[in-house]
Amino acid sequence: MPKTARYKNRIELLQGTLDMLILRTLQWRPQHGYGIGQGIGAGSHEVLRVESGSLYPALHRLERQGWIVSEWGLSENKQRAKFYRLTAAGRKHLVSEESRWEEFVKAVKAVMKPAVEEQ
Amino acid sequence: MKFWALFRRRKQRDHDLDEEIRAHLAMAIRERIDQGEDPAEAEANARREFGNTTLVKEVTREMWGFAWLETLLQDLRYGLRQLRRNPGFTAVAVLTLSLGIGANTAIFSVVDGVLLAPLPYPRPNRLVAVWETLPRSKHIDAISYPNFRDWQREAGSFQRMSAFGDSDYELTSPGMPKHIWGYEISPGFFATLGVRLTLGREFTPQEDQYGGAPAVIISNRMWRNRFAGSPEALGKVLELNGVARTIVGVTPPEFRLFERQDVYTPLGQRNPVFLNPRGSHDDMVSVARLKPGVSIAQAQAEMDAIQQHLDQLYPETDRGLGAEVVPLKHQIVGNVGGTLLLLLGAVGLVLLIACANVANLLLARAAARSREFAIRSALGANRARVVRQLLTESVILSVAGGGLGLAAAAWGVRPMLAAVPGTLPRSYDIRLNVPVLLFAFGVAVTVGILFGLAPALKSSKFDLQETLKEGGRTASSGHHHAQSSLVIFQMALTLVLLVGAGLLFRTIRHLWETNPGFDTQHIVTFKVGLSPSAARTGASTRAAYQQLLGRIRMIPGVEAADLTYILPLTGDNNTAPFWIDSQKPSVPQAAPRMMVFDTGPDYLRVMKIPLLRGRFFTPEDTAKSPCVAAIDSVFARTYFPDKDPLGQTLTFGWTPPLGPCWIVGVVGHVRHWGLGAPGAYTRAQSYYPLYQIPDRYWSVGQLESMSILIRTPLDAAVLIPEVKKAVYGAGRRQTVYAVQTMEQVAAESMASQRFPMMLLGVFAGLALLLASVGIYGVISYSVAQRVHEIGIRMALGAQKRDVFRIVIGQGLRLALAGVAIGVAAALVLTRVLSSFSHLLYGVRASDPLTFVAVSLVLAGVAVLACYIPARRAAKVDPMAALRHE
Repeated sequence: MPKTARYKNRIELLQGTLDMLILRTLQWRPQHGYGIGQGIGAGSHEVLRVESGSLYPALHRLERQGWIVSEWGLSENKQRAKFYRLTAAGRKHLVSEESRWEEFVKAVKAVMKPAVEEQ
Repeated sequence: MKFWALFRRRKQRDHDLDEEIRAHLAMAIRERIDQGEDPAEAEANARREFGNTTLVKEVTREMWGFAWLETLLQDLRYGLRQLRRNPGFTAVAVLTLSLGIGANTAIFSVVDGVLLAPLPYPRPNRLVAVWETLPRSKHIDAISYPNFRDWQREAGSFQRMSAFGDSDYELTSPGMPKHIWGYEISPGFFATLGVRLTLGREFTPQEDQYGGAPAVIISNRMWRNRFAGSPEALGKVLELNGVARTIVGVTPPEFRLFERQDVYTPLGQRNPVFLNPRGSHDDMVSVARLKPGVSIAQAQAEMDAIQQHLDQLYPETDRGLGAEVVPLKHQIVGNVGGTLLLLLGAVGLVLLIACANVANLLLARAAARSREFAIRSALGANRARVVRQLLTESVILSVAGGGLGLAAAAWGVRPMLAAVPGTLPRSYDIRLNVPVLLFAFGVAVTVGILFGLAPALKSSKFDLQETLKEGGRTASSGHHHAQSSLVIFQMALTLVLLVGAGLLFRTIRHLWETNPGFDTQHIVTFKVGLSPSAARTGASTRAAYQQLLGRIRMIPGVEAADLTYILPLTGDNNTAPFWIDSQKPSVPQAAPRMMVFDTGPDYLRVMKIPLLRGRFFTPEDTAKSPCVAAIDSVFARTYFPDKDPLGQTLTFGWTPPLGPCWIVGVVGHVRHWGLGAPGAYTRAQSYYPLYQIPDRYWSVGQLESMSILIRTPLDAAVLIPEVKKAVYGAGRRQTVYAVQTMEQVAAESMASQRFPMMLLGVFAGLALLLASVGIYGVISYSVAQRVHEIGIRMALGAQKRDVFRIVIGQGLRLALAGVAIGVAAALVLTRVLSSFSHLLYGVRASDPLTFVAVSLVLAGVAVLACYIPARRAAKVDPMAALRHE
């Protein structure tokens, strides 16, 4: 099969996780796209870097799914920007994603470090 | 509208996305500057970090959910560009499709107009025709006027019921004298149909009786032509058959029931001799509108009860008579449905053949384009995307073909119908309307996907590396396989159509060769509108006709001329109950029936009907001499199986009967009902001397429109001006109309076979053309692909002749495979043809001669089509072919 476009590929790789990270960042307050990217970067001690080419499609997709909504507002620096806010449905989704993520991490750990478990 | 709303919302979103990204960059730059970067450097870094903004926007937009629209537009643009780049291919494909779709649209418009479209009256499915049926047979007969009046009064199932009958008139004033057609109608005729007159009113019951006020309702066309569409026309006078009639109404434009009429007069004013006896079934038909909620079955049940009651009241005339309620549309359309659906099926096959051709072109082109697809897929296009692109291209082709085909259909339907006059009921309702447009569009899109799908799937599936390595030079053998199958498929379908056309052609040949019982050649027939003053009494009408015939017989080139009341092969009907000698039945309905030909003494000579025994009439057989009659051979065989009919007597007719008449001669049988001789009609025939008809039967409205027959070696076009001179020489204003030769009459009697034969012939021709183009294309392509192989063969010693034979053999193999499949399919499908019993005559559905002949034709055409590529292959220069590698 021919390869699909590069950007698409990356979205698919990150999709589940990136969605969760975005929703998590929006948990306490609305934020604009730039702020979300920075927030994920800071929160991961600059380990995770979100590409714009993944971030914006993800934001628009989450909005379409009804987990977040957007409105125009002003940033601290009086810059007009589009702010995203978590919806009730989004909050619920975030909870379920978190538990799924924890299970996933546990499972991966179990596979990667079986000896530790046995001892 | 929805589209535009979508479009506006989309623009807004685009704008928002731009701003969102601008804001992102602005914030990133600001932060970098805050961290001490140089502004120019900050901007460059921020942009670099952000990446390709256009691409980000693009992938983001895809999340919005109407990316498909975007892609579609893109595909359309790309497809159009591709097609423009190959004008030859595009032209051939579009033309091929336009033939197929155009022919389908034309036939569908006929099917729609005749079968599907409702009748052009309000709530048309509530309209019915009511008929009288005779005992022991289901023959539909003209209804009895007194019975009709009883139905009208008694039947509660109908909102309204009215009757009408054909009539023709000599219009002598105002304007030029003209022979026109019309209906005699009962009051409420238009109201029954739900039609409102444009001007004036319907007839009143006072007008609707013998001797009632002479009123007339005229057609909208006549109103516009003769009265300039003026409201003043009401109250003006029209002279019809010598009677000055006052105009009381004007019909709406385009109004018609069956054929178009010019005038309407009150039915009740007919001659009471024919109209009033309950046993006289004077030519008329009844239409009615069902009350809301009443079904046809309920109406039928009520009519049965009424008719039973009449049976008891009037056993003398009504014993055993029934009534039948039929949907009006069914009555009008008759039995053409099967033929039309057959033609629709046939034209569908033509479309399939056209599709196969275009699919073949696409396959060949796809092979040439395989490199393009490989590159596109290397650049990231997935298979669905390529298939969609190819389908878009094929649908563009088919929609363009559909548009062109629609134009062709719009232009071609009328000439097509005009080529076979009088074949189709409701042909005036045939037009290119919305259902027809939808049909054409639907067919176009469907076939676009149909013929595009296989090539698209095939060409999007390939080994990327192989294709790129090959450099797009050689096609995979898979393509060739698909193309060969398509050609075989085309050949098979073409054979089916050829067989169908061939069988009908053989039928027509048989019909032509059938002896109708008279000599159709060199007979001209026409009618004369006697001037009203001449046709006033029986004696004067007789005298006028005799004078006229005398003058016509003087015209040089006229071998014989005489009168008849009905013409064979035209559907003219004049049946009557009869009995032999004194075997008078209790009621006329119980008596057997015979055809009655009222003719002059020279009729046999004009028609060349053989006299088998005894004598025919002479001018001395008049109302004053003993009544005589002649019978035909079928009559003699049926009713005098072991007796000499000569000298027996015959009494016939409704009320009052004529006779007894002496049988003086036996003549040959005439296939009156058509050359194909459907068995259900009255076959026993009798002849009755015209001048013996009692005066009371000669009165106005019945026998004044006789047909004159002339036997002459002259052409009708030469003869008729002379006839007109003779007719006008009488000094009165008389019209000559309904001019035709008996050969034309015979040809028209085959219309129900001729119409499908001509169309099937055209379709089969188209199919043959398309299929030969198809096989030519595939063989040429294969020769082009095999140049190298042919070069090697020739280098190894193969002769031109051998190469030629290989290529022809390849084509012939495809053709023969197609013929084999086609013969099998045709054997099944022609059963359909023979199930329409009126279509085939004198030839079996599996007629071996037809099958062998069309197979040979098809194979021959295929070989011819392969001739050019075979010649080209034989001319291959082995050195050049090998070097080319």
